[in-house]
Amino acid sequence: MRFTFERRLRQPGWLSLAVPVASVLFAFFVAGIVLLATGHNPLSTYRQLFDAAFLQTGSLNQTLIVATPLAFTGLAAAAAFRMKLFNIGAEGQMYIGAITGAAAGLYLGGNGGSSAFVIAAMVVMGCLGGTAWALIPGVLRAFCKTNEILTSLLLNYVAGLLLTYLIFQSQSYWRETKGFNASVFPTGKELPPSAVWPGWTIHVQGGITLPLGAGFAVAAAVVLWVLYKRTRFGFEAQVLGDSDRAARYSGVRVRRKILAVMALSGAIAGLGGASQVGDFAHSVDGDPNGLQKLGYGYTGIVIAALARYNPYAVVLVAFLMGGLENAGNTLQGANFPAGLVGVIQGIILFSALGGEVLIRHRVRIVRTKRGVAATEPGPAA
Amino acid sequence: MNIRIKLALALALAGVVALVGALTSSASHRATPYKVAFIYVGPHNDGGWSQAHEQGRLYVQKALGSKVQTTYKENIAVGAQFAQTVQSLVAQGYKLIFATSYGYLTKAFVAKYPDVLFEQATGTDQTKNLAEYFGRAEDTVFLSGMAAGAASKTGKIGYVVPFPIPEVIRHANAFALGAQLMHPGATVSLVWTNSWFDPAKEKKAAQSLVTAGADVVGQNVDSPAAGQYSESAKIPWVGYDSDAKKFAPKSWLTASVYNWGPYYLKRVKAAMNDTWKTGFYYGTIKDGFTKLAPYGPGVTAATKAKIAAYQRKLVNGSFYEFQGPLYDQSGKLRVKKGVKMDILTGGTNSLYGMNWLVKGVIGSAKG
Amino acid sequence: MNNSLLIVLIASGIAYGTPLLYASLGELLAERSGVLNLGVEGMMLVGAVMGFWTVQRVHTSAGIALTAAILVAALAGAVMASIHAFLVITLRASQIVSGLALTIFAGAAGLSSYLGNDLNLSDAPARHTFHAVFPASMQRWSVIGPIVFGQDILVYVSWACVIAIWLYLSRTRPGLNVRSVGESPAAADTMGINVTSYRYAHTLAGGAFAGVAGASITLAITPQWVNGITGGAGWIAIALVIFAFWRPELCLVGAYFFGALQALAPQLQARHISLGPTVLWTNALPYVMTIVVLVVVSSGTARSRLGAPAALGNAYAREER
Repeated sequence: MRFTFERRLRQPGWLSLAVPVASVLFAFFVAGIVLLATGHNPLSTYRQLFDAAFLQTGSLNQTLIVATPLAFTGLAAAAAFRMKLFNIGAEGQMYIGAITGAAAGLYLGGNGGSSAFVIAAMVVMGCLGGTAWALIPGVLRAFCKTNEILTSLLLNYVAGLLLTYLIFQSQSYWRETKGFNASVFPTGKELPPSAVWPGWTIHVQGGITLPLGAGFAVAAAVVLWVLYKRTRFGFEAQVLGDSDRAARYSGVRVRRKILAVMALSGAIAGLGGASQVGDFAHSVDGDPNGLQKLGYGYTGIVIAALARYNPYAVVLVAFLMGGLENAGNTLQGANFPAGLVGVIQGIILFSALGGEVLIRHRVRIVRTKRGVAATEPGPAA
Repeated sequence: MNIRIKLALALALAGVVALVGALTSSASHRATPYKVAFIYVGPHNDGGWSQAHEQGRLYVQKALGSKVQTTYKENIAVGAQFAQTVQSLVAQGYKLIFATSYGYLTKAFVAKYPDVLFEQATGTDQTKNLAEYFGRAEDTVFLSGMAAGAASKTGKIGYVVPFPIPEVIRHANAFALGAQLMHPGATVSLVWTNSWFDPAKEKKAAQSLVTAGADVVGQNVDSPAAGQYSESAKIPWVGYDSDAKKFAPKSWLTASVYNWGPYYLKRVKAAMNDTWKTGFYYGTIKDGFTKLAPYGPGVTAATKAKIAAYQRKLVNGSFYEFQGPLYDQSGKLRVKKGVKMDILTGGTNSLYGMNWLVKGVIGSAKG
Repeated sequence: MNNSLLIVLIASGIAYGTPLLYASLGELLAERSGVLNLGVEGMMLVGAVMGFWTVQRVHTSAGIALTAAILVAALAGAVMASIHAFLVITLRASQIVSGLALTIFAGAAGLSSYLGNDLNLSDAPARHTFHAVFPASMQRWSVIGPIVFGQDILVYVSWACVIAIWLYLSRTRPGLNVRSVGESPAAADTMGINVTSYRYAHTLAGGAFAGVAGASITLAITPQWVNGITGGAGWIAIALVIFAFWRPELCLVGAYFFGALQALAPQLQARHISLGPTVLWTNALPYVMTIVVLVVVSSGTARSRLGAPAALGNAYAREER
């Protein structure tokens, strides 16, 4: 018995509903077996999961807090991966964006700039910080042919060390040095009120605050979509992504494109960093048990790939992933080992991935001579 | 197409939610136990800091049985993840939350939950629903430093440290003062791992110290990795935070350990009886809050007796390791003769803000 | 002499580089067949926990227990890799997502953590560990003592693996077939090579190597179990394959280089040597040095792809040939 796959020329509409439903059900079925085997009630577990992610009072608000940085890192990955530039460095570019964005906020806000001006400066500085960090692997790739996966990954570690250094190991501009608390434990300097990003609160579910950063993320998604679908830049980037040689023959200036795409990707990640500071932390979070522990940049890659690099889909998947992350924290505890959370999250991802394949392909099961019983073409199975 | 797929996925999720919700809604009207949660920065079984708190939680659960329901959340990052965790705990009816690491709680944060009681380990902020607690481990670290000093022949001692924050600097200083008491002129070399918990780095740090000449290794980090290396290098080792003798049976000297359980029990009981009040608790040897783990074979009877004598003096107040004169690395007098450093008060003499290393410690206070 | 900085760095570079070497050799095999597996960290952790479990539970002599542990770890790694193989080879799902999902599924907050907790492995040291095989007198020999004779058996076996894989890829028929599967699966298929089988076999072998890499951490370097004990070594291993231009002998050089660099910062601190104005510089040095070496090597190489299998990351669909 053997599976064969035919690429669907036309993807029937009902499939795009049926397959995701089936993949989710399949994931819950498999995860249910795991849960039963480990002595947990699947139904109450799932209920807790959805409560924590989307339903409970305050849950949507918390989900947005996680989804916002994930949308940025997802978009940063999508922007580069589309051109087959594997920028793994959104994590580090986000840290640098947080550092430069916070510098603008602390300096200008502290000197009495108007709020709109200070926030605009933080956005610009955040983007520039991320861009500068992303251009290191970009330049090395464009001019020295150095593999960007490796350099951008290594620079994440360097950015993390820098972040910790600024708050924990030096008396830097970003570190709070006044007051007793600051002498007990290193913390970042609090942003002045004019540098704190406003949010828009909807009064349902105990108040859901849409962070300004979430708005920027959606705007970034629109810009990316327009750029890649409607401009010559995007077209050339895609050609280059498909074939280096074809692009060269058709006159695309490859080096310039690599630099531009890396800069764009870094700018989005850097903006995510500025949003971390402006929207949520209100200071540079240099604690190794803080921002660096969350790995938003790496989750962003999963999101971008699951969304097949479509910017709008990235935003939506980031939201779902944010919910899943929060659900994980809510589930784990004395009666539910943390390791099981990752197992369930993994099963959901595997199923979503397998199901997605079924939308694009028709599966046929070819019986071989031995005539083993054919199985149903279930999702991800 | 993709957006439709994702939208459909969202719809599917919503459908499942409704279904699951309908299937599992159950109303229970039993007397509900008092719910207490503990939030850990590392895994609950890390063999160190978080595990010590976990033992405290189990102590409470055992003592109060069905009257309380306790849980923990492990590996929770400071910031947004902590906020989300608290929010979901509160939604589940948890009334008392122990946040076991600095940086978790602020005054503004606890003000959002006026009906919930918070306690934070190692911090300083107090409000009407936020209390702080920690232990006077510098005393026991000092005693463990005595064991290290007595075990050293060359007077060159290595000390593995995580991050250059006052808590760690205070402990490194206490360790050095203890070592120098038993071995006058002993030096303590620091290697910073720049990580709260990383066995591989801790082993490398211990190896570096030993190959650079240290003949005893101590640590302010949690894992037994430095101890396992010391065992293989036949070097005496002083641990921290847990009794890790089984990881290095021959090298093991002792360690300063915390006993959180009785404090937790007292506070949970107070919260249940509505007698809980905010405060700053700094547990001592006398309270049974901090103590030395059982000795290993390398500690001589004479050393044990001397440590016991100093422990008595610490308890009755006739001795205090952070009483002047204290000199810094450069030999400059930092605390005048007779002046006692204090935890919260004391300005430049505050132990909670100590950012300089005492004489004989080799390394930088900046990491 | 044997405690001098250079000797210590070389000796510990070899010791600490060994898990990186095993994991990168495995990833190299998978990638040579065209399958990128970003789940190395997860596979390593499951190998690490299962290998450790075996040593704790199998009550026989040290030699048998450790051999069994390595086999169990290899098997566990291969089982993890089989999930990835099924998704990306049979279902042709995205290799990037599947690998990252595998890390979530198996990693520090996933299966390995569950197993470690459920099997209660974190409260005791390993009952048996790999340690230096040569007598202490030989280890005291100047220079070569610590470097060559101070290592455990896993180090020597890894040298044999490097040679075996090098011979396999360059001298044997199946090895050449793998390379053509990774370069051009369509052409390989026309030549009658079963692309699917080759990819499955090498992805699973890659998982087995990652499992052994994990066990080499919990049974040799830090003989204990805690969540996430690999500390990101899996990611470094993936990077090393690129660093090594997909060649096993260069994996060895890269792994030892990185192992030594990781030992550098604590060594400098312990010897009171200051390299620069700040601690930041010393800590960032391993990463910066790696980037510099990579830049020097890659800009000196004329080939544009630097040894990457051409079909790496692409699913092969016979029907769409």
